Amino acid sequence: MKLFNQINIEPSFKTLLFIAALFIGSNSIAADYPEKGDFQKGAKAWAENCVRCHNLRDPKDLRDDQWVTTAFHMRVRAGLTGQKTRDILTFLQESNNPPRPIKASIKSSDAENKNSLTGQEVYEQTCVACHGKDGKGTVPGAPDFTDSEGVLSQSDEVLMKHITEGFKSKNSPMAMPAKGGNPLLTETDLSNVIIYMKSEFKK
Amino acid sequence: MKTIHTKRKIFLFTLSILCTFSASADEKYEQLANEVEALKKQLEQVQSALKQYQEESITKKEVQELNQKLEESVITQDDVDELEKQVAEAGEWNSPNTLIHMAGYANVGYASDSESYSIGSFSPIFHYQYRDKVMLESELEIKIDEDGSTDIALEYLTIDYFLNDYVTVVAGKFLSPVGQFRQNIHPSWINKLASAPPGFGHDGAAPLSDVGFQLRGGFDFDNSSANYAFYVSNGPRLIAAQEHDDEFEIDGIEAEGFSSDNDGEKTFGGRLGFLPFKGFELGLSFATGKATVTEVELEEDVHAFKSLAFGTPGDEGEEIDLHDEVARDYDVFGIDFAYQNNGFELRGEYLKSKVGAADEGITASHGATWETWYTQGSYLIPNTRWEPVIRYSDFTSATESRSQQQWALGMNYLFTNSFIGKATYEFNDGAFDTNADEDRWLLQLAYGF
Repeated sequence: MKLFNQINIEPSFKTLLFIAALFIGSNSIAADYPEKGDFQKGAKAWAENCVRCHNLRDPKDLRDDQWVTTAFHMRVRAGLTGQKTRDILTFLQESNNPPRPIKASIKSSDAENKNSLTGQEVYEQTCVACHGKDGKGTVPGAPDFTDSEGVLSQSDEVLMKHITEGFKSKNSPMAMPAKGGNPLLTETDLSNVIIYMKSEFKK
Repeated sequence: MKTIHTKRKIFLFTLSILCTFSASADEKYEQLANEVEALKKQLEQVQSALKQYQEESITKKEVQELNQKLEESVITQDDVDELEKQVAEAGEWNSPNTLIHMAGYANVGYASDSESYSIGSFSPIFHYQYRDKVMLESELEIKIDEDGSTDIALEYLTIDYFLNDYVTVVAGKFLSPVGQFRQNIHPSWINKLASAPPGFGHDGAAPLSDVGFQLRGGFDFDNSSANYAFYVSNGPRLIAAQEHDDEFEIDGIEAEGFSSDNDGEKTFGGRLGFLPFKGFELGLSFATGKATVTEVELEEDVHAFKSLAFGTPGDEGEEIDLHDEVARDYDVFGIDFAYQNNGFELRGEYLKSKVGAADEGITASHGATWETWYTQGSYLIPNTRWEPVIRYSDFTSATESRSQQQWALGMNYLFTNSFIGKATYEFNDGAFDTNADEDRWLLQLAYGF
């Protein structure tokens, strides 16, 4: 206020001038809508930022369009950057799709023809946001992979089914989305990540 | 004798020849039998193959039927175009320029101090968004009073202009960005206990809302991030209480968002948040400006507020003019932190609001200070939906009867992540024989949608 008193301009006028300068000086208008974000970064940002204030909402709680307004509401509330908001939005929208059945006899799809990811690549890109680098889980409901009698003690077939279709533990507050929310993962990718998780975490 | 020997030899020779021929015939017979058997097997195989061929072969009629079905199943470009059109139309709701969405929360419950069931509040939040340029946000708070009447309040109404990836201009009535509890934690489905910490509600130390504009946003670094919110607003108003005939004290700060600025003095404030590593946030808040007394609580009737700002007559019909009240210094400082890791959460907040002294005016008096802090811990027990919570709060009010220390214990059950049942017990220590000193149970069902 002292500053305003020294300069002979009404504070309210200065405020308006400041706002006008801000608008005119802005050469980085928000990207055209809807610009797709980065799924993997979105998964990480979702796990790290939403929980700052409230329990994580299941991606299936809302439709794609509802997630748009919700994500922008949270952008304002949580002070997220535009890019981080788009990343989280992409993760939520792609994670609330129903699981697609895998047809083992069809091997000619683009998805199957692409180069398979290693188990470590799949884990670090898709799983690590919730399950953590150490496999002990970073969000409520994520199981401890290092538990000798935990989920990794189940057969590969059971794990493949749970990962493919999505799975919710009995008392977990939320479900893991199908394929961890990444529909681009192939059956081979999922097999690789199961092998990786068992070798890396199972005691 | 010689003739006899010769005949015997001829007989024996003939017999041996006959035996030899006989053995040779048996072998041939055996060979022929084997050949016949092999031919039989081959014949059976040929018959079986022929039968299988007849079974697997299709008739000309069947071929025609299959061709017809094939023709019917071929997808033409027209079919693809039609399908794409149908898919696009079906997804129209998903990609218009304007999106409308209603979110919000509500809670119902029971309080042992009033021995009453209650409707906490129904707080619908309306979102109207045009692409990623602008969003209108508005929250109403709808409550039922003790007498059954319905109160509707505008919690906030802002137009958010997303200037770029790092700056959003927020204009209108907004929740105070000072501290964390008021702007982000107070919704009942988020607050882990059934009550707000003392000092963070009405007549507390924390500002609730304001009218003006904000610049908000954030920045990401390699492994850390920061967020900010700075605002200019109309600022709060003050309530003075009459102690004696000509003696007044500052009784409270009304920081609830006024659409007019009675003293013309703007308030500046904001919060800076730092997230140096995953799961941890540290925030620093401040507000500074001027505030003026606009209401007086008269000595004769402490329950009756009289608005005197525009010369409302006093109890004795005396005209009391508050136009000359001095704008006092108003300063707020706050610090908050939060840490989360896999179901464990620890958060805390400290806030201090200070109003300066005034040497002139009817309500001239010394200044006043409000101070509050709380620390809260909670843990979602693994593989269960149970979440114990503990919180300690210490609120020191300029009005001593409102000061309160409180231990609050709670047990929550997460029906879903946004539908929560809470049981909270408060151990309250306040002024003797006031509500602030009464322990109580609170039961609450909170639902965020």
